[in-house]
Amino acid sequence: MPAILYFMFYASLGLGTSLTFLSSHWLTAWMGLELTTLAILPLMAQHHHPRASEATTKYLLVQASATGMLLFATILNGWVEMSWSINEMKNPYALTLAMSALALKLGLAPFHLWLPEVMQGLDLLTGLILSTWQKLAPFALLMQISQAMPPTLLTILGLSSATLAAWGGLNQTQLRKIMAYSSTAHLGWSVIILQFSPGLALMALGIYIMMTMAAFLTMKDMSSTKISTFSTSWSKSPEKMVAMILILLSLGGLPPMTGFTIKWLVLEELTKQDMYTPATLIVMAALISLYFYARLSYFTIISLFPGTTSIKTYWRQKNIKDKLILPIATTATLFLLPLMPLTLALTYFYN
Amino acid sequence: MAVSRVTLQTPAGVCGLFRRQLLQPSLSHPTILSTRSIYGEYKRPGQPPDKRWPWEKIRFDFSKGVEGIQKHFGLLKDEFVGRLRGPEGRPLLDHMLEQTLVQWEFRGPESLDQWVVSSDKEIGGQSEAYLKLGKNNTTCMLYGTLCSVPPRDGETRYSGYCTLRSKQTLLSFDRKRHFDWSTFNTLYIRFRGDGRPWMINISAEMYFSHNKNDIYSYFLYTRGGPYWQEVKIPFSKFFLSSRGRIQDDQHCLWLDKVNNIGFTLGDKADGPFQLEIDFIALCIDRAHTEEFAYEKFKRNPEVP
Repeated sequence: MPAILYFMFYASLGLGTSLTFLSSHWLTAWMGLELTTLAILPLMAQHHHPRASEATTKYLLVQASATGMLLFATILNGWVEMSWSINEMKNPYALTLAMSALALKLGLAPFHLWLPEVMQGLDLLTGLILSTWQKLAPFALLMQISQAMPPTLLTILGLSSATLAAWGGLNQTQLRKIMAYSSTAHLGWSVIILQFSPGLALMALGIYIMMTMAAFLTMKDMSSTKISTFSTSWSKSPEKMVAMILILLSLGGLPPMTGFTIKWLVLEELTKQDMYTPATLIVMAALISLYFYARLSYFTIISLFPGTTSIKTYWRQKNIKDKLILPIATTATLFLLPLMPLTLALTYFYN
Repeated sequence: MAVSRVTLQTPAGVCGLFRRQLLQPSLSHPTILSTRSIYGEYKRPGQPPDKRWPWEKIRFDFSKGVEGIQKHFGLLKDEFVGRLRGPEGRPLLDHMLEQTLVQWEFRGPESLDQWVVSSDKEIGGQSEAYLKLGKNNTTCMLYGTLCSVPPRDGETRYSGYCTLRSKQTLLSFDRKRHFDWSTFNTLYIRFRGDGRPWMINISAEMYFSHNKNDIYSYFLYTRGGPYWQEVKIPFSKFFLSSRGRIQDDQHCLWLDKVNNIGFTLGDKADGPFQLEIDFIALCIDRAHTEEFAYEKFKRNPEVP
C-alpha cells in the first residue's frame, strides 16, 4: 500500500479516538468510534487472503452492531432524559444497552467470542493496533458512564471476562488467539475496579497496553505466530526470547514485573470495598491465565527444542534496524513495579 | 412468449411471468439461471428439481431425538475433559515435540467410514470407483474404472473422474471440527499406485460463500510397480483452485483450520486404476523454510 494511504488510515485512527476523547455529546463520540472502525478496516484487509477478509468482515459486523446499539441507547436516553451529554446518562435501560454495546466493542465477556477469530486473521502489527489503540475510545466512554451503572453488572462483566478468557486461552497454540484472550482477561480486571476507582482502571489499561505492545513487537521481530515457532526462535535472538519470558510472566501478573501492579492494586481496592468473593474468584481466574503464560515461557526458552543445526545461533541475521519502541516497551513492562506508589498517587489525583 | 392481458393486470401474474422467463430453460439458450443455481444447491444435470417442502425432507422420530441428545452431550463432555488435557485432547508437550503425526491410517473396516468415494456416475457418467481394505487390513485400496465418455444429458461436455475424500469430522451439535496442522509443514503419504497421476486436494475452512469451492491442490505422481512410494509434499507447494480453475490471486494454505483431504484422478486415460494407501501423515521438515512456492504477481505495479 502506498505510504500516503498508510498515513491517511493511521491519521484517521488517531483522529477518531481523539474525537471520542474530546466529546461531551454522544453523537460526536459515536462519530469518533465509527471513524476508528472504518479506518482500521483497510489495514486489516490489506493482505489479500480469505482469512484477512474474514477477519475484516467479522470485525465490521461486530463493531457496526455495537455502535448501532450504542446510538440506540443514546437516542433512548436523549428521548427520555432530554439530555445528549455523555455524563448525564441516567436511564437504566439506556445505560444497560450502552454498557452492552461498549462491552461488545471492547471484547468483554460474554461478548468476546469475535476477538480471537478476528485476531487470528490479522498480521501482528494490525493485531497490536486492535488490542491496544482500539480499546481506548470505548474505554473512555465506559469510564464516563461507569458511575451511573449498576455495580453488580460491572462486577459480573469483569469476573466473567477474567474467567472465560482464562478458560478460552488454556489450550491455544496460536499466539494471536492467546493475546486476544489475554486482552479480554486484562480488560476484565480493569472493568471490575472501574466503579470504585476509575483512575486505577485507567492505569490497569495503560499497563496492559504497554505489556501487549512489548509482546507483539517481540513476536513480530521473531516472525512467530505459533507456540512451535516460538520454541525454535531462541537461535535467532536469545536476548529477545529471555525478555519474552519475562514479558509473558508480566502479562500473567507475576512479581517483580510491572504486570503485578494491576493484580496487587485491584485486589487491594476490592478488599477495601469488602468485595472478598469477587476478589477471590478473579484471582483464581488469574491463576489459570498465569498457568498458560508460564507454560508458554517454559516452551519458549527454558526447554530447548530440536532444530536442524548444531550451532547455537544463526550466523546470518536479517539486516533489520531495531526500533526504539521495543526496548522502551520491554523496560516499562519489566521494571516499573518500584514506581507503583507514584502511579497509585496519580490515580488518586484522577479520582 | 405470448402473454394474456389478464396475466399482466395483476402483480402476481407479472411476478409469475418474470419467474417463468428466468427459470424455464429455452430451446435456443442453455439454462443460465435456475432456482438451484440462484440458491447454490447442486442439481445433477438432466434430473428434475427437488420440489419437496423443507418439512417433507425431515424425518421426525422421538427415539432418534433421544439418541441425538445422548450422542451430542456425550461429545460435549468429551470436549470439556479433552480441554483439561490439552489442545485437541492431547497434552501440549506431545503437540510441541511431535515431528510426525499420522492423521489417517487404515486398520479396520471402521477406518473406511471416514472416507467418501465418488465418481462421475453422479452426473451420469460411466466411471466406477470402489474402496476396500487392502491385504491384512492395513491399507486401503481405491480401485475402479475410468471412462471419459460424457453423459448424454445435453449439458455435460467433459467427464471421467473419480475421487476419494475424507468426511468432515464433527464436534458436538454438528459443529465442524477443523484440523490444526500449523505445527507441521509437510504432507507425508505412503502409497502404491499404478503409474497414473493423481491430484491431492486439501480444503480449508472458508467464511464466504464465494470461497466455498476453494481447494488447495498438488500433484501426486505414482510410479506403479510393487514397491511402496513415500512422498513428502510441503504445504507451501499447494496452489489455490476454485471449481477446478487455478486462480490468479494465489496465496498459501493456512493450516490452522483444515477440513478434509482428497485424492482425485482425472487423467483422461480410460481404463482400470488402483491406488493403495498405507497412511497419510504430517511431518515437520525444519530445513524447509519456503513460505509459498508461487510468485504472486502485482496486479497494479507501481510506475517508477
